[in-house]
Amino acid sequence: MTTPRSDEAKLAREQRWQALMRAAQDGDGAAYARLLSEILPMLRRAVAYKWPRAPDVEDVVQEILLSVHTVRHTYDPARPFMPWLMTIAARRTIDAVRRGTRRNANETTVDVMPETFPGDRPKIEQETSDDQDAIRRAMAQLPDGQRRAVELTKLRGLSLQEASAVTGKSVASLKVSVHRAVKAMRELLERKS
Amino acid sequence: MSAMQTEELIRRLAGHAAPVRRLVHPGWRTMAWFTLSIAYTAAVVFVNGLRPDITARLAEPRFVIEISSAVLTALMAAAAAFCAGSPGRPVWERFAPLPFLALWLASLGDGCWRDWLRLGAAGLTVQQHFHCFPVILATGVPPAVLIFVMIRRGSPIAPFATTGLAALAAAALGAVALRLFHIQDASIMVLVWQFGSVLALTGLGALFGRRLLPWPTADLG
Repeated sequence: MTTPRSDEAKLAREQRWQALMRAAQDGDGAAYARLLSEILPMLRRAVAYKWPRAPDVEDVVQEILLSVHTVRHTYDPARPFMPWLMTIAARRTIDAVRRGTRRNANETTVDVMPETFPGDRPKIEQETSDDQDAIRRAMAQLPDGQRRAVELTKLRGLSLQEASAVTGKSVASLKVSVHRAVKAMRELLERKS
Repeated sequence: MSAMQTEELIRRLAGHAAPVRRLVHPGWRTMAWFTLSIAYTAAVVFVNGLRPDITARLAEPRFVIEISSAVLTALMAAAAAFCAGSPGRPVWERFAPLPFLALWLASLGDGCWRDWLRLGAAGLTVQQHFHCFPVILATGVPPAVLIFVMIRRGSPIAPFATTGLAALAAAALGAVALRLFHIQDASIMVLVWQFGSVLALTGLGALFGRRLLPWPTADLG
């Protein structure tokens, strides 16, 4: 239940965020940093509410922040800020849920694919990559930096620029990490089979 | 992923907060698109030549209602497409062209009913007339390209609705042009081949929504 005092606080916050967003659109980095920091707890709550079984709320929150950044020119200062933000947050959360569902639907948890006899080398590379557990184990053996690079670019589908923004590493170094990780995983999987 | 990395991300985003050119209000964007597209459509009609019986047809209320509702469908569909790309706007705006689309359909239905009363079953014979689709497509291409370039400036929060509405706007104008330079007055033919083509193109536009309107990636290099 809302009280007049909480309504007033919400109104004041809405007006403050509108002013900060206007300043951010005009290139004020400090106002932008303050705005993003202030909306962060609300985004975490919104994602957790919309997707209670999210494997990692923080991943989705980061995608929302990146999306807010890329479409910040679409905010109309004459309109309220919260509906603008929450529409983007809801859209990106739904996208993340769909991506997660699609990934689970395409993965099969079986030890041996029916097409390959035990003891044989798998016939095609696709069959090797179907073994979800083996891939998970191979990923777990990678050094932290390489595993992180693969998670961001291959599982979450971020661009190299976005992954660079998230990790603070350069694009070139991320490319090298992904290349080395894929090579190492292939060797691990081949050795296992 | 840790909260610390999110704070690092915020720091980096704030470091790349270059000033942005705000998206113009959907009303102004609609007017800009409509003015250019209607001028182009008028030019297409002029080049092809107005149908010879245009004066007589414009005296018929049913024909005037049909053309006006098609033009208003195009206008409202464009406005709805621009609104659909602006986060935080009410969802009902996306349905704004529906009343005009319904009026357009009703005017064609009324024409079919009159043809039935006048000619019986012969008045509702559908003949093959596939060339409506490519003509509407070709006439609608420049307005379609223009509106797709314009909606890409927006936010892809409802990609299927946005591209479907944009395709409807362009195809409806194409159908108006066809109606003004091509003599085809059997309402059933107009309903099946012209209105049908507009709906098919709308569906086709919506189908490619996600591909045509991907989320832009952040350039933080």
